[in-house]
Amino acid sequence: MTTLMEIRHVTKRYGGGRLSGEGMTALSDLSMTIDADRPSITAVVGESGSGKTTLARILLGLTPPTEGEVLYRGQDLTSLSGEQRRDFRRDVQAVFQDPYEVYNPFYRVDHVLNTPVNRFKLAANRAEGRELIAGSLRAVGLRPEEILGRFPHQLSGGQRQRIMVARAVLMRPRLIVADEPVSMVDASLRATILGSLRKLTDEMGISIIYITHDLATAYQVSDNILVMYRACVAEAGAVEQVVKQPQHPYTQLLISSIPKVSTTRDWLADEGDETIRAIPGHDGCRFVERCPVAMARCAGSIPPLYRTEAHRATACFQFDASPELAPAEMGQVLEGAVALPAPVKGVNQP
Amino acid sequence: MPQAARFADPPQAGSPDEVYQAIVWGFRSTRPAGPIRHDRTTRMSGFLRYLRRNKSLVLGSALLLFLALFVIIGHFLVDVEDARALSVRPLQPPSWRYPFGTDRQGRDLLAVMVAGTPLTLRIGFIAGFLGVGIGTVLAFVAAYYRGWADTIIRGIADIGLTVPGLLILIIIAVSIPGGLSVNQMAIVVASLAWLNPTRTIRAQVLSLRERGYVEIARMSGMSGPAIILFELMPNLLPYLAATLVNAVSSAILASIGLEVLGLGPIDAPTLGMTLYWVNFNAAMINGWWWWWTAPTVIIVLVFLGLFFVTVGLDEIANPRLRKSA
Amino acid sequence: MSPHSILRVHRLRVAFDHPLGTVQAVDDVSFTLLANERLGLAGESGSGKSTLALAILRMIKPPGHIQGGEVHLDGTELSSLDQEAIRRVRLAGIALVPQGSMNSLNPVMRIQAQIADALADHGVVLSKAELAARVADLLRRVGLRAEVADLYPHELSGGMKQRACIAIAICLSPKVIIADEPTSALDVVVQRQVMETLARVQRDLGAAVILVGHDMGLMAQFVDRLGIMYAGRLVEIAPIGEIITRPRHPYTQMLISSLPSLEARGTMHGIPGLAPLLRDLPPGCAFHPRCPKADARCRTEKPAVRDLAPGQQVACHHA
Repeated sequence: MTTLMEIRHVTKRYGGGRLSGEGMTALSDLSMTIDADRPSITAVVGESGSGKTTLARILLGLTPPTEGEVLYRGQDLTSLSGEQRRDFRRDVQAVFQDPYEVYNPFYRVDHVLNTPVNRFKLAANRAEGRELIAGSLRAVGLRPEEILGRFPHQLSGGQRQRIMVARAVLMRPRLIVADEPVSMVDASLRATILGSLRKLTDEMGISIIYITHDLATAYQVSDNILVMYRACVAEAGAVEQVVKQPQHPYTQLLISSIPKVSTTRDWLADEGDETIRAIPGHDGCRFVERCPVAMARCAGSIPPLYRTEAHRATACFQFDASPELAPAEMGQVLEGAVALPAPVKGVNQP
Repeated sequence: MPQAARFADPPQAGSPDEVYQAIVWGFRSTRPAGPIRHDRTTRMSGFLRYLRRNKSLVLGSALLLFLALFVIIGHFLVDVEDARALSVRPLQPPSWRYPFGTDRQGRDLLAVMVAGTPLTLRIGFIAGFLGVGIGTVLAFVAAYYRGWADTIIRGIADIGLTVPGLLILIIIAVSIPGGLSVNQMAIVVASLAWLNPTRTIRAQVLSLRERGYVEIARMSGMSGPAIILFELMPNLLPYLAATLVNAVSSAILASIGLEVLGLGPIDAPTLGMTLYWVNFNAAMINGWWWWWTAPTVIIVLVFLGLFFVTVGLDEIANPRLRKSA
Repeated sequence: MSPHSILRVHRLRVAFDHPLGTVQAVDDVSFTLLANERLGLAGESGSGKSTLALAILRMIKPPGHIQGGEVHLDGTELSSLDQEAIRRVRLAGIALVPQGSMNSLNPVMRIQAQIADALADHGVVLSKAELAARVADLLRRVGLRAEVADLYPHELSGGMKQRACIAIAICLSPKVIIADEPTSALDVVVQRQVMETLARVQRDLGAAVILVGHDMGLMAQFVDRLGIMYAGRLVEIAPIGEIITRPRHPYTQMLISSLPSLEARGTMHGIPGLAPLLRDLPPGCAFHPRCPKADARCRTEKPAVRDLAPGQQVACHHA
């Protein structure tokens, strides 16, 4: 099994220091590996503040971790040679959330497609470059003659976002990190764009990390899922099981909070309070203040990931009868590319 | 959570964005058709429509154009040699022969204005361009690369800005033996003209470098200098233009200040030197009103013109100042 | 007893003057809102739903203008009112919780002061004690602690800020509350709390609610009747159960089937094509380029709104 990327005990803190006092922990002791051989789509689901965007930026090398290491093919990102860096840039690409911000308003959209072709010398001559770009656009369901030559403001958000996917595909990456790729796109187009992402995995063997807050689309399009809550992983596993039989209390809360399109109106109930109990300055599970089934030990220490089933891991003391997720079993929990080693116990708290 | 899509509108016909794109991409309409009919209107009509709305720009440009014409046509109507001392009868009030009158040393004041205005403007332009040129380079280096470069450049600029500029200029001017020529004057003023542009352009670049398209460019393999040149610079051109006009204005003011104090090029018929001679000969007390009226009016026109152009360019450069359609 | 209609919109049209022609943002929209009813207005961006909400309150600014149509609030025709009278209707008769309002709270005023502001604008003069009591009561109705009155907006979470906005909206006990995407910037768990607050407030006041948005799941769980907007027209309006189980308009049908469900994987479908630019609408029915049932008649003739049952209408040649 070739490991494409590995994150080892990465923690990311913002702010803090002698003058500013407490900082904010965006990621807390996260470890993950991405396998190059078996392409799949892994969803990273969480609310704002869960750390999912920070995870994306760390994977893309846009933000350095405060602690821990990020390895590309065994090499730390900070110590890559120039050529290795180019390989990394070609292997790992991104699609961002805002389909307008990513275009330089001064140029036509061709610019965003021509730049990687030129910089990475993807084509031998201009004709080949044009053909390559046209092919990528068609692969995401766009017609080159309708797109090329236009300015960004002349195209809809959905088209702009698809051009970004086409741009990522140009470089034939092994991994695409898509950070909320459809949240700013009209609902009727989301399925189309996510469908083309699915096609990339199925037909071109590109793995995708799909970061979103929308559990429903994550369920529809991905194979595996990681549920994040406040800088930690709450639950991970095959998406069908996690969504149909959620084990972590936070996952359960998340799923029950989604309003479903059905004639059964059970969503609006008695007004719940956001916090059930207040335990300031505790060192335990990040969810203990809102957890309906918290036990005494939950406020004392952070639960590790327990391997509750062949393709499931949950970080909750309710499942301490199951074995803790051992490094040797990491590849089996998540079908396909993403695997999680066990986190270290006793993680430092902010 | 999903927000209703915040797509920016296309540049409205007749808006600053359209003007800017028109200037850069030419006045042809955008490439073929398709369902977006409105873009087929030429950018020229949008440009003219915009000029109707941005009266400052039009007014300022008109004033400067008027001065340019004054100088050009003046060169045909008047013998520029008469701008030198001892050319004509001194102290003549304005008449048909000498429309601006003459001064005590026998200069035809119309000739002086015609010859001197371009000299004054030249100092301003050279100093302004040098100042903004140096400032831009330093600003980009400081803002894009941050770290030590930023700390040093910013430190020097900040310290420099706290010291009164005219004072430094006077000291420099006084130290140069044998007086200044027009070009030397420009260099002297330029030595301080880069301080403010560096700070303001740096602030602009700092905000631009966080844009999504810069990150995408980085991920597409663009190097730092390439990003500065191809991604950041084009979006800064309107702002740089406004800064340039501003710098030219300040440079002219500084040069006139030095000249009035007598530190300028003694033989040159610049506007500032004329005012120096006005002071030297106590023209106001002596009632020779035509001597100081001419340069004053011209200076006021120059500054008004530059001011209105700056305001007009500011509107293009700063989206928040734009009046809504 | 026949239900009492509190708001009646009749053939409302709003246009925006673009240098290259007039854009029809709201095209001939009519509907009736019953007292105590929850009506949803769903549509994608550019469908005109937010413009419609503003038009009801006569808050359209140039270059937009209301071209025609009437809005009746409990019998009073709003277009016949002068500026001062319509200003009194806003907040007291119809309250609006605008999009992104939680970010529009005045950052340098405490919550109590902002509510007092709204009251004072409508000539409600209270003593300090009365004001404190009124504010405390409002905050309690939206599920916030009384201490929130002394806090600044930045000290509140997103959900709390939105609930504070709802408190401002109900301070004069309006008959109609229009909420424009009230939860689009909030997390899904907080969204539920805010919607529960809105439902409770509506029950307490006996007011009617118009919920404008694009989240069909939210509509399904909250509203009694749902109107679907497309390209400025109200293409279908029906009780929510009907919309979900038996949508009549092809756009509604495709919209319902395009929603990602948590029941079975692989069931997401998109709607092909692009939403039309309002300045460049196709002739005939605006939806025909994307419609699987479109025929020659759809390409030339704009379908009129037909009544199918009381409170149920559709605008389609094939429905």
